[in-house]
Amino acid sequence: MMDQPSILIIDQNHARAAIIQDGLREAGHANVRWLSETGNLLKQIAEIDPDVIIIDLESPNRDVLEQMFQVSRLVKRPVAMFVDQSDSASIREAMMAGVSAYVVDGLRKDRVKHILDMCVQRFDVFSRLTEELHEAKTALADRKVIERAKGILMEAKSLSEQEAYVLMRKTAMDQKRRLVAVARAIVMAQSMLK
Amino acid sequence: MTSSIRVGFIPLIDAAIPIAARECGFAEREGLQIELVRETSWANIRDKLIHGLFDASHMLAPLAVTTSLGIGNAKVPLSVPFGLNANGNCITLAARLYRALEEVLGHAPQGPRQSAQALKRVIERRKANGDPQITFGVVFPFSIHAIIVRHWLHLGGIDPYNDVQFQVVPPPFMVARLSEGDIEGCCVGEPWNSRAVESGAGSIVVFGSEISRCAPDKVLALRNETVADDSESIHRLLRAYQLAARWCQEPANHANLAHMLAQPQYLNVAPKTVLNALSGSLAVNRTEARSASDFLVFQGDGINRPDPRKARWLYAEIASGLRRPLDESQAQAAAAVFRPDVFDAATGNNALPESADPIGLKFGPAFQAGDLQSYVNGLTPASDRRENP
Repeated sequence: MMDQPSILIIDQNHARAAIIQDGLREAGHANVRWLSETGNLLKQIAEIDPDVIIIDLESPNRDVLEQMFQVSRLVKRPVAMFVDQSDSASIREAMMAGVSAYVVDGLRKDRVKHILDMCVQRFDVFSRLTEELHEAKTALADRKVIERAKGILMEAKSLSEQEAYVLMRKTAMDQKRRLVAVARAIVMAQSMLK
Repeated sequence: MTSSIRVGFIPLIDAAIPIAARECGFAEREGLQIELVRETSWANIRDKLIHGLFDASHMLAPLAVTTSLGIGNAKVPLSVPFGLNANGNCITLAARLYRALEEVLGHAPQGPRQSAQALKRVIERRKANGDPQITFGVVFPFSIHAIIVRHWLHLGGIDPYNDVQFQVVPPPFMVARLSEGDIEGCCVGEPWNSRAVESGAGSIVVFGSEISRCAPDKVLALRNETVADDSESIHRLLRAYQLAARWCQEPANHANLAHMLAQPQYLNVAPKTVLNALSGSLAVNRTEARSASDFLVFQGDGINRPDPRKARWLYAEIASGLRRPLDESQAQAAAAVFRPDVFDAATGNNALPESADPIGLKFGPAFQAGDLQSYVNGLTPASDRRENP
């Protein structure tokens, strides 16, 4: 397709940029490029000359893009943020997902909306994945602490594995604390008594 | 009854008032819970405020005006009921350019006039050699930083629109860009100038307080409807800010304030760096230190009570910077952004005696809020600029 808009993604997170790029390609946008945030951003953008810029909100470089609202001697075409006052809900949604979009003049709003929606979705998918990964890591770490605490109790009080576990669980319930908190306390106490 | 308010901020020393209002318990004493949310860009601050993700925010004073006028983004009228600080920024030049100034003068430049005039000679020499123009990094297109640099350039007879280039550079990247050489000067707040001096990337040539005495830097900004719909919470916030401003301004509290701001959830820097800026005592190059008692000011000199004349001044500077003709209806819309009425209602203030000069420019055209055109006409490069009393 000749009239495919060229899309530039500015994101410091390589994995997320890859997920977004894939999403856009799947949706039929072949003309997608990615920049991480190093060096003279404005100069790089001027060279690429994109129709749509997608940027993550964690990037301080958003303020660099603001300069393109003015007639910058570096950028060929005027650029504006994709803010349609009538569409505050979708902008809010994008901001909450952590993404913002800039478009050059003359590009049809509905086409940009489609691209932005796609990116918002992918940003959400990415944060869900990150969250799940974080949860999995925490669960694994918790399990390790509980195993260690169990071992300490078994040795100190000559308990079976099952008895050690029951003792910890009972203590946690009596004290209204999480099992892992009790386990951490045991591990810490042991390291201090060593 | 305790109400709660969500306030956005950028990790800068001039976020001291919102941070102290929370940390010292001034807000709590007013029955207000302040939730502080750290942001990475002024564009995020603006967008989250106008789309209701923040109730209030720490904001560049010129950005509150441009947002209200719809310059550079969709038009959303904002209210500024409190000014957070004056000054606190420096102009820093890259090491090589600073050496060129020393060469021209035969010694280190002293004062803004001498440094600007030396820069003029360096620019002329570079022009004759066909060298590229000097680029200045500023933190945002609409910022006091850009205005300060333009005034300083004018002082040396340099045309800010044709003799140099401006580029927005986020403060955390400023020192690296100075060392890489793609910007040769910048105007930024602390600790970034000190970082440039420490690393040898640059030298400080001008304190913002040498350009103007009390130009507005950062302000508290809210959506108009928040001020109208929830005036009780906003009044509590303003009273807490006023107490915090007094506390922050007191030198005896600076060590505490430095530790408070330095914490990881706020600025995440060494307390010493914050303390230097609070006390106004900075190493300006590898051998020299300088101090100014008004390097960064949180209270006094009409800083907290928003003066609509300051908003008119900001509008004149913004229009002039964009090379646009002045429009009196826009100037009035800008003036309406600054809300002394809300400040007075909250604090029980009975109209302070207004200072004759709300900006305190130390050079250049005299500012008359009623005659912006004469002021803007006077914003031209001139090597024989008059010094204001």
